[in-house]
Amino acid sequence: MKGEKIRNCFPYFKSNKKSIYFDSAATTHKPQNVIDTIISFYQKYNSNIHRSMNKAATIATQKFENSRSLIKELINAEHSSEIVFTNGATDSINLVAQSFLKNQIKKNDIILISETEHHSNLVPWQQLALETGAKIEFLPIRDDLLVNTEKIKTKINDNVKLISTHHISSISGGKQNIKEIIKIAKSFNIPTLIDGAQAIAHTPIDVKELDCDFYCFSGHKLFGPTGTGILYSKSKHLDGFIPYRFGGGMVDNVSLYKNSFSELPHRLEAGTPNISGVIGLGEAIKFVKSVGFGVIQEIETNLTEKFHHELSKVDNCVLVGSGPRAAPIFTFNLEGIHHYDLASLLSEYNICTRSGHLCSQPMIEMCGLNGAVRASLSIYNNEEEIENFMVILKKAISFLKR
Amino acid sequence: MLLNEEKLILNFSLFNNWEEKYEYLIELGEEICFIAHEKKTSEYLIQGCQSKVWLDFEFKNNKLYFYGDSDALISKGLVALIIELYSGNSPKKILTHQDSFFEKIDLKEHLSMTRSNGLNMMIKKIKKYAYEQLNKNG
Repeated sequence: MKGEKIRNCFPYFKSNKKSIYFDSAATTHKPQNVIDTIISFYQKYNSNIHRSMNKAATIATQKFENSRSLIKELINAEHSSEIVFTNGATDSINLVAQSFLKNQIKKNDIILISETEHHSNLVPWQQLALETGAKIEFLPIRDDLLVNTEKIKTKINDNVKLISTHHISSISGGKQNIKEIIKIAKSFNIPTLIDGAQAIAHTPIDVKELDCDFYCFSGHKLFGPTGTGILYSKSKHLDGFIPYRFGGGMVDNVSLYKNSFSELPHRLEAGTPNISGVIGLGEAIKFVKSVGFGVIQEIETNLTEKFHHELSKVDNCVLVGSGPRAAPIFTFNLEGIHHYDLASLLSEYNICTRSGHLCSQPMIEMCGLNGAVRASLSIYNNEEEIENFMVILKKAISFLKR
Repeated sequence: MLLNEEKLILNFSLFNNWEEKYEYLIELGEEICFIAHEKKTSEYLIQGCQSKVWLDFEFKNNKLYFYGDSDALISKGLVALIIELYSGNSPKKILTHQDSFFEKIDLKEHLSMTRSNGLNMMIKKIKKYAYEQLNKNG
């Protein structure tokens, strides 16, 4: 499947023929099979899973658990029970912070992250540090805004209890050398958490090969529904997770004063989950498999090269991130034009971009900026849209610089 | 109706498309009642906007007068528009004003009340100033 055929899988583009959607790093559109599956759940077998003994519930439970297996295969985990459903990458990181690290961390221990993290991989640690007296320290960064793997060791000591960083940057589109980061962390016996929110739709993930302890992503950035996500955790760590959300669905036996938790991963999934969402996420994975990462990367490499080439012709354009891009993500500013003005104008011309600090305020400030405009593309975009975008960009510039 | 409301609605009705409305907004920004330079501090900053927007007020003869600025053209136009709309009115009038103005000038679909443009926050701040003055001066 390629080009127009892929685009035709996404009904959004049939309803928005005049719109150019360059905001896929914020959220991707959903293919028809995902939408149909969600509708079908509510129309045909709406029920609660893992509880009710009826035919609809049996189908729903099977499909829900099948999504877990599909995710296990997608990221090559060892067991399905290593996949915990969450409501997104942010929720997954909070789960590691509250259920895993909180039990092990004490005053003056160190959580090592980078200054280039999305807020979702910063704020949960700030909160944990406040609660425990632990400290956050930052991995050394190179000029291309990626972690300097050669200098990681300078930041490591006995107090470092976790290294957490992103796989692909939501700002620069750059890809970290996470294999090396994980290898170094492992040599000091420090667990690693990889925020794969921006990587999951662009690159194949093999958690066994990476050998990370935790990996997480959001379903909605992988053509799946919002409110879905996963945390992958090696079994050896999951056993030590102490649930931080309690209620139905995560217990086996309950008396008035006591309870016993159910088996993993269910004890970490309290309450009725986002059943239709998770089943939809399974369909999104089927869609990704039907396209294949070979084709995805071929399309995205072409889009990245084309966008970069066209944007380099725009005067006074300053790009954030100088290195190669592993995803078609472009964060930029035009000298003399405020990012808010530019994004507002682009919106009037029916172009969807994102602007502001892009949920990465420390990184944007580290780059000496107040904000920026981000254009992020996906497999359903095409070269014609890039050309049209550039025409409109120039129109917006001349409007604002008149 | 507020003092300049009718005039502003009439002005906006003369434009046929968003380009003309934005041009007018930017022109309004060029003529904004500037906030004193030394007041461009976090104390006067409206939180939650993508651009920096500062807002200050003065209370004379039972009327409120507003002053502002922004580092972005469109936000500056918006704050100028808000100032034009609310300045010269009594706190009571400001507090009882119904916010259908943005629907009447047909800007609502363009400048939706999202957090990003801070329009809502500007109006809230103006009403907060009005509320404080009403309580202080009766």
